[in-house]
Amino acid sequence: MLVLLIVITVLVALRIYTILPDSRSRPSRVRKKTKTDKCSIAVFLGSGGHTAEALTLVSALDFQRYTPRTYVVSEGDILSTRKAAELEKSKCCDKAEGRYRVLVVPRARRVHQHLLTTPPTALLSLLSSIYHVVIEPLMFKKTVFADLLLLNGPGTCVVLCIAVYANKFFGLPTPRIIYVESFARVKRLSLSGRLLKPFVDRFIVQWPELLQPGGREEYHGWLV
Amino acid sequence: MIAFVTVGSTTFDPLVEAAVSDEFLEALLDKGFKRLIVQRGRSDLKLKGIPESGNSVTLHRRGIDIELWKYKPSLRTEMEMSNLVISHAGSGTIIEALRLHKPLIVVPNPTLLDDHQQELAQALDGLGYLKTSTASDLARTLSTFDTEKIVTFPPIDGSRFARLVDEEVGYQ
Repeated sequence: MLVLLIVITVLVALRIYTILPDSRSRPSRVRKKTKTDKCSIAVFLGSGGHTAEALTLVSALDFQRYTPRTYVVSEGDILSTRKAAELEKSKCCDKAEGRYRVLVVPRARRVHQHLLTTPPTALLSLLSSIYHVVIEPLMFKKTVFADLLLLNGPGTCVVLCIAVYANKFFGLPTPRIIYVESFARVKRLSLSGRLLKPFVDRFIVQWPELLQPGGREEYHGWLV
Repeated sequence: MIAFVTVGSTTFDPLVEAAVSDEFLEALLDKGFKRLIVQRGRSDLKLKGIPESGNSVTLHRRGIDIELWKYKPSLRTEMEMSNLVISHAGSGTIIEALRLHKPLIVVPNPTLLDDHQQELAQALDGLGYLKTSTASDLARTLSTFDTEKIVTFPPIDGSRFARLVDEEVGYQ
């Protein structure tokens, strides 16, 4: 029994190792797209400053090309939903046209939530994310969750990344993940940044102080 | 001229107290300000001589018309009409004020454990986009604040991010 458990653990670890992004950040396995191809995008809006930065990033993209768009918000975050709708409206797209949708997931951890009560809420958040990222596209829609997932923290975005890895684990089509560290992080990465750095396809920082020699971080100036 | 002080959704009583202190009001008057708007947040601080009456209070002191209130969903209107913004170190507020090209004094809250917001304020101060101050130094910072010397905050260049994403998902 123990031997079996060890064998399984080793196999799972090996599988995860093989699906990690290359240590150098250049994309390797991405299929080339023609100018007229569409690319669906999902973005997590982490409320407050995170939402503001994420929406600034999304607004830089060509909405004709990056469509449809999925905004993932935490339960109860009405302000982020409203701001996403405002952006869509300013870019001339009504929800009725089916160009975008808002997905609500339970929070992994509420602000000031006690550490001991975090595991159940994080699990609920994870199950919900796995449903939206893995099960729903596979079972009911016969399509991918998104071609591109944009993350910039906080907490719940880690859960979304884990859900994407569930897809990768089984060799299902998965979104490329771009993580953009907040403009507010000058000298030290955020907790979500530190956790996600080895797992995302591109890891972007906005202050050169955060670059590590030979690291995965990339700096392209201020983006927000 | 109008000055706008904001603490966002935080509690930052030393900044609120400094904003209505005689010393600071005199510095404002010296600089030609006639009006002061203070968004004081969740503070339940009792200010000397200021009545506790619901969300909003107006008063006249040291030649300045002062308006104090706790919270509004958007501070955009106040920011736009102000000639000076004094803010806690919240990155959203900092970016918003700089994008509107408002002279900005940032007062980081020293009691916050995670000091990354303070790092942002100091880094931007170092580049000349804003001034940082402590609450107790606020009047002096204002008196010596030369708004002519502020470096203009660069506009958003969305093309860099757009190019990066295009490349990542396989557009040529």
